[in-house]
Amino acid sequence: MAQRVITLIRYLLRDVFLSLTGILYIILTLVFWQIFFDPSQGTPEGAYYVLVIGLFGAGMAFLATLSVAARAHRAIHYPLLVRLPSRVEHLTAVLLSALTFTFLLQGTVAVLALFRGPEIPFGLVVEIPPLWIAVDVLAAVLALHASDLVTSGWSRVYIYGALAVLLFGRELDTSSGNWIGTRLSQLGGWFFRQGWSGLGNLVNRLSQWSHSSGVSSIGDVLDVAFWPFHAIAAAVKAGFFDPRQALAPSILLLYATVLFLLAADLFSTKDLFLTE
Amino acid sequence: MIKLQNVTKRYYTLVAVDNVTFTIPQGEVVGVLGPNGAGKTTLFKLIAGFLNPDEGAIECAQGVWPAIGFKPERLLFPNHMRVKGYLKMVANLSNVPRRRNEAAVMESLAWVGLTEAAGKRINECSKGMRQRLALAQSFIGHAPLLLLDEPTNGLDPEGQSDICDMIQALQTAGHTVVLSSHQLPEVTRICTYLVILKQGRIHYQGLMSEALALRPHVTIQVEGQLARIQPLLASLHPQIEVKESAIILNEGAIRLRRHVLSLLVGTGFDVLRVEQKRRTLEEIYAEAVRWHNE
Repeated sequence: MAQRVITLIRYLLRDVFLSLTGILYIILTLVFWQIFFDPSQGTPEGAYYVLVIGLFGAGMAFLATLSVAARAHRAIHYPLLVRLPSRVEHLTAVLLSALTFTFLLQGTVAVLALFRGPEIPFGLVVEIPPLWIAVDVLAAVLALHASDLVTSGWSRVYIYGALAVLLFGRELDTSSGNWIGTRLSQLGGWFFRQGWSGLGNLVNRLSQWSHSSGVSSIGDVLDVAFWPFHAIAAAVKAGFFDPRQALAPSILLLYATVLFLLAADLFSTKDLFLTE
Repeated sequence: MIKLQNVTKRYYTLVAVDNVTFTIPQGEVVGVLGPNGAGKTTLFKLIAGFLNPDEGAIECAQGVWPAIGFKPERLLFPNHMRVKGYLKMVANLSNVPRRRNEAAVMESLAWVGLTEAAGKRINECSKGMRQRLALAQSFIGHAPLLLLDEPTNGLDPEGQSDICDMIQALQTAGHTVVLSSHQLPEVTRICTYLVILKQGRIHYQGLMSEALALRPHVTIQVEGQLARIQPLLASLHPQIEVKESAIILNEGAIRLRRHVLSLLVGTGFDVLRVEQKRRTLEEIYAEAVRWHNE
């Protein structure tokens, strides 16, 4: 299996590097470096270096995975796919080649940014790879779900719909709970005026629950899913990870693993209509 | 080898393959025929595992799924690669041991007559060369089952003949080949098993020798018009057809040939030719297509 996956990675990497998209990403990388790490100005601090290049890696991982997956979704791959005992090998190769491409570009920015850049202490040097790798892998796996290669039926809508619900839900706090409670209370009054007292009572109970921090507690629960991001940002700003925060990259990798297993299941059971 | 049991595949409301039951016989060259849109390519993709049946099942008779070499109808390749590099990649994916890789590539190149083009970029290859390259990649790794969609499309007559020889050699070496083609003489020559599809359903399947032996007939050609004795001939047997100056004795009427000949001579006709024929693949196919159009 390793021989087949390595062969596909080499092929896909070469394919993307020789494509117009690949060249565009290389140019984008240099432009990013020029804008965010202008050598004539110097870079102020280590936290900026870690966070900005980390975000660049996540963005690049997402875009690179979309591009590699699109290239892997062409009909020229039918004769190659038929040789593989499992389609998951193809998907693994897509993910690993996109990540390799991302690491190369992220590494380039990271090295270039050191020119008249911040002093990076050895402690931070050790902390950077797990941080960047975890974020890049999660972004790449999310991009797989956005690609035609993996999408099966409405799966893309379900995955990104769930993500949108999480992002929206975590913003729910006391003020939004009060706002929803007021609206529900008005709705309950309207039901009473129509003579639907049963429905009115139900809506009023919901309104009271919303006022009494019910909605904001939903926000708190949903926000737990985003704890690794908060933990990483806090630790980078503080300059060190406490033992609890050190778990954050592993949890991001756990998310990525679950999403990759889902992607593998979708890809291995879907009808393959590769683009001609 | 591979068994399709009541397989149906739909694309939204279009039924591409409709309740197909068919076993790929081991060691045979199976010719899949049918008009455009009959479901041939869908059937190939189902066998190759690219598509899942909506109904029915595809099973392997031996329990272990065989390695498959697939040559798609459209000749699409990574054009930036060289011929040899592409084949090396396919060999790597086909579990050819690293030390055997070079030899396997050269063997397949020699097999399709592309040895001299090994160093060429794929985008510099002619259509015929790309067709040969597609065959070479399907052959690498000696997959026991080869699915060849239109293997001789775009080749000159000499090239077509070469490919036919190669496919026959593959069968001799124990491979099972499933191919689709619109070149009926070529199918007659190389295929030992025949499947005719129309509107997603199997119209005929069986050994080629049996298909060609179906409905033999005798044609008697005479000088002059047969109109004046047509009622007499028609009254002899319902399977006697009269066409201007020819009489066709189908199946059951063949045994009356002596009687018909003496009748013709007795009524003053000169018999020019008597032929005993078997059905050709063209006739079998034309019948299927006619029914398809009806």
